[in-house]
Amino acid sequence: MLETEQLTKKFKDTIAVDDVSLVLRQGESVGLLGPNGAGKSTAIAMISTLMKPSSGDVRLNGESVLKKPGDMRRVLGVVPQKIALYEELSAYENLKFFGRLYGLSGKKLEQRIDYVVELVGLADRKKELVKNYSGGMQRRINLAAAMMHEPEVLIMDEPTVGIDPQSRNHLLETIRKLNREEGMTVLYTSHYMEEVEKLCDRVYIMDHGKVIAEGTKEELKAILSDQETVLIDFDQNYPELFAKLSEIEGVQHAAAEEHSLKLIIPKGTRLLAALFHEAERYGAQVVNVNVQTPTLEDVFLRLTGRKLRD
Amino acid sequence: MKAVFLLQWRRFYRKPLLVLAMFGLTVIFVSVTAAGEQSGPQLIPVYADGSMSELQAQTWLERLNSEEQFQFELMPESEARSYVAEGDVSQAVNLLEADYRLLVGREDPARFALDSFLRRIYSEEMRLENAEQTTPGIRAEMESALSGPALTLSVESLQGADDSFQYNGQLQLLFGMTLFFVIYTIMFSLVRIVDEKRAGTWSRMIISPVRKWQVYLGHLGYSFLIGFSQITLIFLLFRFAFGFELGDRFWLLVAIAACYTFSIVALGLLIISLITKPQQLGAVIPIVATGMAMVGGAFWPIELVTNEILLAVSKVLPITYGLQALTSVAVYGNGLQAVAIPLLLLLGFGSICMAIAIRLMEWRSAS
Repeated sequence: MLETEQLTKKFKDTIAVDDVSLVLRQGESVGLLGPNGAGKSTAIAMISTLMKPSSGDVRLNGESVLKKPGDMRRVLGVVPQKIALYEELSAYENLKFFGRLYGLSGKKLEQRIDYVVELVGLADRKKELVKNYSGGMQRRINLAAAMMHEPEVLIMDEPTVGIDPQSRNHLLETIRKLNREEGMTVLYTSHYMEEVEKLCDRVYIMDHGKVIAEGTKEELKAILSDQETVLIDFDQNYPELFAKLSEIEGVQHAAAEEHSLKLIIPKGTRLLAALFHEAERYGAQVVNVNVQTPTLEDVFLRLTGRKLRD
Repeated sequence: MKAVFLLQWRRFYRKPLLVLAMFGLTVIFVSVTAAGEQSGPQLIPVYADGSMSELQAQTWLERLNSEEQFQFELMPESEARSYVAEGDVSQAVNLLEADYRLLVGREDPARFALDSFLRRIYSEEMRLENAEQTTPGIRAEMESALSGPALTLSVESLQGADDSFQYNGQLQLLFGMTLFFVIYTIMFSLVRIVDEKRAGTWSRMIISPVRKWQVYLGHLGYSFLIGFSQITLIFLLFRFAFGFELGDRFWLLVAIAACYTFSIVALGLLIISLITKPQQLGAVIPIVATGMAMVGGAFWPIELVTNEILLAVSKVLPITYGLQALTSVAVYGNGLQAVAIPLLLLLGFGSICMAIAIRLMEWRSAS
């Protein structure tokens, strides 16, 4: 349905997006995972016809949208990373405006407003000014505004940044409902691995402007099928010990976070003896050792040597 | 375009304070200041000290009253001082044999006109007296030559057929302040474009089926209409509620207001294409508005400015042409033909600014 072909964007000496090819099939939910600065937002800006690529193409049903962006704009709903609303207006007035941009008017416009505010759970507060909403409610209206014209494809650029867990769950449930029940095609970008794992059928992983891996969640995790993730919790932070443990033979990747250390090791590696020996040497107390099945976060760590939120 | 245009009015409805403040400031400033102005020739008390005889003083008085710009009245010094002290007049003139002194009670834009007028009359008279010393009878010869000229030259200008400067304090204030304050209204309404680009709502509009030129037009249409309405409403208010004499061609004043508003909208767009941070615009707009108003003749008549550089700068400012055209119609009673050139200059200025601004904005967003 929607695909990009070797999409590239250069800014002076920087290549923000480098030769990115993505495919979105009808009704699919695709995740675009990557850390801040990976090039996700720039890629989305090009897909949504906001920015012209330096090279490459974006195709909708086989037709290039660079020459005829109008077709794409009619079927596309974009939820920007920023809360792009008029805060001095009410949610109702905002939605009315965004509906009018797509040619909606009269009864149809009112019906659509009623539908989207119901969808995001703000039907009873639609007449309130946006500036009086909480951050989470503003994010929900941000989504509702993109839904006004019944888009076939919904592109979401980190829509849950900075919101409370309750609003986040509501938003994720809404997106899941739109995709699973209404068959809407979704491209979801995030640097929250768990959101992508929850929502998406397929995932593209981006780093430094390039797609470094793609596939279903299972396919990506299979990258680590001969490896396992060991999460060790200590009583406190021991930077020197963590550095030492990262150098143990067989450890392929290591990431420290506060009192914990995550190690990716080949299956069957005998780690525990060395771990306890070193812990004793540094006077550290091991609180918990957990061997986990790999997550997308671990895949990312394996592929880039960095954590998603670095 | 309609959606974007209507949205601006909805936003105005929610936040009308800035526009209402500019409207209110114009009304207050003009009505309070103009209360001390009079529409006819201004009365100027004149007194002479002991260095001048009664006859000499009368001769000077006749010479000063030979033109109708001011109404000079000879009186004892104590009386003239009393007029000024009590605020009945802004200034009085102390006549000296070959010079004059102004006794100023309060700041009044008419002081510049008075000073300029006196300097001209005194210079002419001094030159004539000098000439009489070397060529006796030259004054009579000159008066005779002037009363029966060999050749009559007809001059037409924005200041009327005889090219003499007429000062109307009320209208100078009304036009000057109206055109000055509306710059703020228009430019601050255009700052919304910068705000929208920063907030992301601009991008939302761009990725909708609405074309980019339609988005611009919605914004510019609103800025034009809000500025144009402000000028027109103020003119109507002062004509009908305050009884200002605006001449017989009100429709032409409205047409001038439209051309001026267009040029300021375009200038505002050019400024926001050059300066993209709202905080910087908050500083730049007052500088531009006040600078233009000072050099362009909104605070005092441009006719009083003698500095060549300032006069040259004033030639590229839309406010100069707006004021010229308004004064030409309301004070000198001229018609469309007389103001066609300033109107064309305003439209030309606006078109050039707009073309540059839109190109600059597009170039910026593409790079």
